[in-house]
Amino acid sequence: MDASFKLEDFCASIENIVAISNSLMDGWTLHKKEGVENGKYITKKYSTSLTTSDANDIVVTFEYHIAYHLSYGVPVLCFRVWKQDGSLLSIEEYWALNENLKGSSMYDTLTQLDHPVLCQPFLTLHPCRTQEIIQPFLQHSKNPVISWLSVVGPFVDLTLPDQYLKLC
Amino acid sequence: MCEKKVEELTYVQLSTSINPSFWNKFTEIKLEVDKLGEIEHHIWGYYNVIPQKHGINLLEVDSTSFNEKFNGQNMYIPFHGKLINKNTIEQFKESNKTDLINDEGKSLMEKIKNELVLQDPSVLNNFFILSFADLKKYHYYYWFAFPVPRGLVVTKVASNLITETFSENEIQILCSQFKELDNNLRSYFLVERIENGCKLHTLQNKIKNVTLQNKNQFYFTFCNIANTNIAVGSQLKNYITMILYYCPFLQGQIANFIAFTLSRRDDFSVTCDKSIIYELKLPSQEDYTWVGWEKNERDRMGPRLANMKNTLDPYMLAENSVDLNLKLMKWRVLPNINLEKIKETKCLLLGSGTLGCSVARTLLAWGVRTITFVDNSTVSFSNPVRQSLFTYLDSVQMKPKALAAAENLKMIFPGVKSQGVQLSIPMPGHTVGESLLEQTKENVAKLRELIDEHDIVFLLMDSRESRWLPTLLANYSHKITINAALGFDTYLVMRHGLRDAGDARSDPVNHREGFKCINGTELGCYFCNDVTAPGNSMKDRTLDQQCTVTRPGVSQIAGALAVELAISILQHKDGAKAPAFYKSPQITSIQDADSENECLLGIIPHSIRGFLSSFEHILPATEKYKHCIACSDMVLKEYSENGMDFLLKVFNSSKYLEDVTQLTEIFNDIDLEDVLEFSDEDFQ
Ligand SMILES: [Zn+2]
Repeated sequence: MDASFKLEDFCASIENIVAISNSLMDGWTLHKKEGVENGKYITKKYSTSLTTSDANDIVVTFEYHIAYHLSYGVPVLCFRVWKQDGSLLSIEEYWALNENLKGSSMYDTLTQLDHPVLCQPFLTLHPCRTQEIIQPFLQHSKNPVISWLSVVGPFVDLTLPDQYLKLC
Repeated sequence: MCEKKVEELTYVQLSTSINPSFWNKFTEIKLEVDKLGEIEHHIWGYYNVIPQKHGINLLEVDSTSFNEKFNGQNMYIPFHGKLINKNTIEQFKESNKTDLINDEGKSLMEKIKNELVLQDPSVLNNFFILSFADLKKYHYYYWFAFPVPRGLVVTKVASNLITETFSENEIQILCSQFKELDNNLRSYFLVERIENGCKLHTLQNKIKNVTLQNKNQFYFTFCNIANTNIAVGSQLKNYITMILYYCPFLQGQIANFIAFTLSRRDDFSVTCDKSIIYELKLPSQEDYTWVGWEKNERDRMGPRLANMKNTLDPYMLAENSVDLNLKLMKWRVLPNINLEKIKETKCLLLGSGTLGCSVARTLLAWGVRTITFVDNSTVSFSNPVRQSLFTYLDSVQMKPKALAAAENLKMIFPGVKSQGVQLSIPMPGHTVGESLLEQTKENVAKLRELIDEHDIVFLLMDSRESRWLPTLLANYSHKITINAALGFDTYLVMRHGLRDAGDARSDPVNHREGFKCINGTELGCYFCNDVTAPGNSMKDRTLDQQCTVTRPGVSQIAGALAVELAISILQHKDGAKAPAFYKSPQITSIQDADSENECLLGIIPHSIRGFLSSFEHILPATEKYKHCIACSDMVLKEYSENGMDFLLKVFNSSKYLEDVTQLTEIFNDIDLEDVLEFSDEDFQ
């Protein structure tokens, strides 16, 4: 029987991430939606310039969310991307800009799902394979969320510095 | 200090980024609080002072910008902003941009003079947004401005890296003292060179102690918000304006500045060792005018337009999400499926009961956008539990079914173009008296018009006779026709053969051993077949069709199958002309049929008969019957030659059809055997 990743473990992991982030001034923020069992989640923003297929540069802001999916029993990485005027990129626009996902089975990997806490559509790394990825970390990692993020984050331009990994 | 060529400083203006939540919050405030008032709001801007790898740092506004207190995290410095919203596009265009920015500049001067700036130096980081919101269209016109004094000229006398002036240890101390400052004190502060080191002071504590004599031991420090350390943020001009107010003796003098620049070392720790020390020659104090409007995306002095329709309009969110769901199916499973064709297909649903509701819902899920309901009855109290588009309230109000179904479908998905038409479909053998003659003619004309306007006709009524006229008209107009009928625990879903438009007969289809195959143009209609109860599984049940019920799931299954059959037809290269196979008993799998004749979703049967008592399906295919009372050439010829006269003869006596098709007693036979015509209506 596989070990499970409980909500308490998740909360401990993300609170740990925020503590590390605060010491590093790295920008992860803890949020809590009252009255929701899995109401705790963390976010971080990152702005960068991306090159479109017609060779224009656009400045976009990513807002990453890490929340807990109750039915899958795993963390979910979801995010939104907006242009400088605040308009969100659609999943198709994002696919067109993401080099990391090209060629892979990106339609299976990255999809649009409702945020587990906010219940609004977000670009989401599909949680169905997360259990498989996080499983090896559950026994040995002090922070399975960090270990898992270090594997999946780079697909969507989210990289964690080594300072986080040292604590796993 | 290494002397360099005397030159002017390079200033950069901040780039801005609006979080979608800012527009959301602003809209809420405009609609619920400000309403028609033109109220100026204080807003916070956030600037992350620590550069991120491959990142760009921007001034961001979001929903928390409207909060009273700055709630930034530790890497943000605050910007003090104002949102000046105009109620009309004219006011937005005509407002005097020079006056606006000068007013903001004057107000900043006030904050300098009344010493507010010493308590909170971040007021020097000021900006405002002039906006107009077209809330119906979710269009937001906006223009950022960062007021700075015009013509304030600072000369760069010298510059060097901080490491040339301060030791590694001193820099480390500065950095940790900086981190201990409150967010609002971080933008502007003083660094004093003291014996054996350096010390950080807030402006409030120290600026008044700076004199012409001791000025060289002080460094006027500002957190540099240029994304590069070869330039400085334009707000430095505001800082210098303030310095000249408190230290007027520095006019025309050279003073030390530190452009405090944070960066990360390889080990990710934060350092300020990329900071630059400047020796700047300060100008004399003047009454300045103010400039600083942001250029737009075309690099012009002008406003920007944020089209937030797809991001904020719930209607668009629904529309796009529905489409995305289907696209995911295309991307993941069926790359060649033609979703546009489905979306554009107009469907006519004759009958708005259990089947009509179930068909409409499944069509909606497939992305069909045009759905017309036809029915002549009203919603009764027993309907809502079985007919998925109605509510109890509809039955209390006795709403006409077709209209209620169309309305409620829009409530489920406002992107659907649904309409309801109240219409009685004339039936063979239902005599038309003088008083009903005109109405009947109108009904026929209306039905014909509806059939011509749509691409697929679904026959979902609860009586056999009512299917006759639409079968004839749809066949006459070459429309795809899908028929669904229910028994107690049985159902039939079928497509009607599509009459060839021209004389050309479709190519013969490869016959395979063990299969019988019929071209789509040769397939029969509902009336061609001798429709008896398929697999009469409960022989001892009273087969009284006036008083029969159906198992509740039957209509859902049959409705869903009717739509899936229609979608398969749409995805076949030959459409309704696609051949139907049915297998001989010795062949085990229908999948063995010639895949060339399948569509990407699989085979396209002629009919599907289901039996809930054994949970089985069979897929019979039958040819057109040349004496058919609805689809035979004889009937079509009569209709095409005599039109309404012919129809009236049929309505008045179904015997007339028997004459035309040379049949006898067809209705007698069928009436006795027809058990596929039950409906829950019959119980009322
Ligand atoms: Zn027929």
